[in-house]
Amino acid sequence: MSLGTFIYTLVNGDLVGTDEFGNRYYRGRGRKLNGRERRWVVYRGKVEASKVPPEWHAWLHHTVDDPLTEKAAKARAWQMEHQPNLTGSPEAYRPAGHEYKGGQRKRATGDYEAWSPE
Amino acid sequence: MPKLTIDGEEIEVEAGLTVLQACELAGKEIPRFCYHERLSVAGNCRMCLVEVAPGPPKPAASCALPVSDGMTIKTDSEMVKKARRGVMEFLLINHPLDCPICDQGGECDLQDQAMGYGTDRSRFLENKRAVEDKNLGPLIKTIMTRCIHCTRCIRFATEIAGVPEMGATGRGEHMEVGTYVEKALTSELSGNMIDLCPVGALTSKPYAFTARSWELKKTESVDVLDAVGANIRVDARGPEVMRVLPRNNDDVNEEWISDKSRFACDGLKRQRLDKPYLRKNGKLQPVEWNEALAAVGAKLSKTDSKKIAAIAGDMADCESMLALRDLMASLGVPNLDCRQDGAKIGGGARSGYLFNTSIAGIDDADALLIVGANPRLEAPVLNARIRKRYLMGGFKAAVIGENVDLTYPAAHLGAGPDSLSRLISGEDPFAEVLKKAERPMLIVGMGALTRNDGAAVLGLARKAAETFGMIDGDWNGFNVLHTAASRVGGLDLGFLPGEGGRDTAGILSGADSGDIEVVYLLGADEIDTSKLDKAFVVYQGHHGDAGAHVADAIFPGAAYTEKSATYVNTEGRAQHGALAVFPPGEAKEDWAILRALSAVLNKVLPFDTLAQVRSKLAEAHPVFAHIDSVIAEPWGDFGADGAADPAPFKSPIDNFYMTDPISRASKTMAECTAVARGEVLEQTGTDG
Repeated sequence: MSLGTFIYTLVNGDLVGTDEFGNRYYRGRGRKLNGRERRWVVYRGKVEASKVPPEWHAWLHHTVDDPLTEKAAKARAWQMEHQPNLTGSPEAYRPAGHEYKGGQRKRATGDYEAWSPE
Repeated sequence: MPKLTIDGEEIEVEAGLTVLQACELAGKEIPRFCYHERLSVAGNCRMCLVEVAPGPPKPAASCALPVSDGMTIKTDSEMVKKARRGVMEFLLINHPLDCPICDQGGECDLQDQAMGYGTDRSRFLENKRAVEDKNLGPLIKTIMTRCIHCTRCIRFATEIAGVPEMGATGRGEHMEVGTYVEKALTSELSGNMIDLCPVGALTSKPYAFTARSWELKKTESVDVLDAVGANIRVDARGPEVMRVLPRNNDDVNEEWISDKSRFACDGLKRQRLDKPYLRKNGKLQPVEWNEALAAVGAKLSKTDSKKIAAIAGDMADCESMLALRDLMASLGVPNLDCRQDGAKIGGGARSGYLFNTSIAGIDDADALLIVGANPRLEAPVLNARIRKRYLMGGFKAAVIGENVDLTYPAAHLGAGPDSLSRLISGEDPFAEVLKKAERPMLIVGMGALTRNDGAAVLGLARKAAETFGMIDGDWNGFNVLHTAASRVGGLDLGFLPGEGGRDTAGILSGADSGDIEVVYLLGADEIDTSKLDKAFVVYQGHHGDAGAHVADAIFPGAAYTEKSATYVNTEGRAQHGALAVFPPGEAKEDWAILRALSAVLNKVLPFDTLAQVRSKLAEAHPVFAHIDSVIAEPWGDFGADGAADPAPFKSPIDNFYMTDPISRASKTMAECTAVARGEVLEQTGTDG
């Protein structure tokens, strides 16, 4: 969080809630923007937009008036937990056969059998 | 010459042509299934109907109708279109319309022509005819329900291949094409039926369901699995050669290639050398290029040049042979040989090791003497050319050597050189035939020249050629039939023992006795490698075959589909092959490896690019400056006098399907070998 955002949040922000990742969501006091109240998030750790879970995403984008935290709490057993985009990180998806996954892949067309001395 | 009017345009054509050929000359495309320019006219598909006046008021099959003066032909009239649509509808009645799962899809004549003449729906509501598939061996897959009875395959087997094994049983709707009694085809050219089949009834078994024609990258190249130098098209997808098809060249292979050339390409994916190896502590270890080159360079510079030798193999390209020759010359090595089979040729006149008549020239010959060759196995496409000449009539052939079926009648005059001597002295009745012939020709094969008395046999053959007037003005009837694609190129480049140098036999015995310490094998595998145990062997090649097993250092090279290279065929025709896929792993183009080695030795070869190598080639021998043409060679001195051993000639090819590292690595060729030896007729379904 930059110093400007920190001061702006301190002066204008009303904390609405915090998600399971520790990101804090604020509502602006006073002046509206385009006829709506201002809503923003202060990330915990690295600034990464995909860290916002869906229940807060909907609120943040003015799709709903209140965050869907109650609904999210009643999530079904088969619903997966929210996961930020891992591209570029060590946990990023890599197909089987990738060097980082051992480099062992199934036979594909175009493979050749190399000669070996024994 | 008859004048005719085709679609309102007047054209004058040669007498004796058919209406279809005349239309073709006029630039009108006539759809056809059964007609093929290299086969006899059958006239049974009725797709080539045109409207002809004067004549009965009905469409006529143009492929079987000779032209006559004053004909008016309409190829595009309403009547013609309606007739062709009718024919197409009848053909499609019993055709399964399984294009999405058919290997011919995308290159199918029926599919293409149905676009022009087919309707969008069928009026046929009854059951379609179904025909049981035939087993034609390990190369040709049959889906006989798709057959439209054009009889091209039957005519090919009977006329071109000369094995009348295909035929039709039943008539009308009940006609079935097959081999009568289920058997594998015994022709070396059977793969061409796949190309000829206008539908998907005969397709390639090894290629089945592996690729679609439109996803393949097509590269025009030259075949190196025999010495004919057939023109081929290499179809590749990504790094994989999917199939090899013939390319039209009337002077060489017409439009046929042998089964080995076509189907051995799966051998390119097995037993490949893809990284450099060096023997350390008695074991071959994979190493980096720099290390391998440095080790070989150190060994070569430490060794006395008289104790170094180089042998070029059967598939070596001219670029790499030139590079190796020049490298060895810069080291002062006299022990070079490109004749790993020990043939006693080269050194003399160029006409002494060429197929001087040229392959197209066979058509002009009227008598043929074959000495110690089995062209059916050594050069099947060339043999088909001889058969074509035989079918034209007025042609007599005789064989001295093995008495085998060559697909055309040939008198067997004897088995060994003594029969040739008898013929020369006129004791044999065939001598009269040769004397009377206006353009007699003689083919002497490697079965006669690789013997210890090869030079004497070559001298005898030369004497025979001169005795029977085979060298007469423009006509040169003396022919050497090679079995290796690299041989003529090697001989042209003078890849031969220098002053006081050893030939292949000398190198091998020298390596055995310790006189030769370093042997450089450029893809040479068909030698007695057990004699190389004591020497330091450098093997440069693409397959882990006999040579790689005795090697102390291995440089992985490129196979013929993986490099742009020059080969000279048995006629002395230099042709460029092209790179279709890249060499696997760390393998490199062969001349580039030798160029790198020369830099390590501080004897840098004077070229850095392929174009520079080729200009050096052109300097080395004029044939390389005249790509794809045959230069007539003057008759000169070659061969030796002397007594020949009366032992019978024996063809060097025992098993047609396995003659080189690529075909030996091929699974398809292994299956063919098993079938040819009568071990199995490939079993399918519950049998297997």
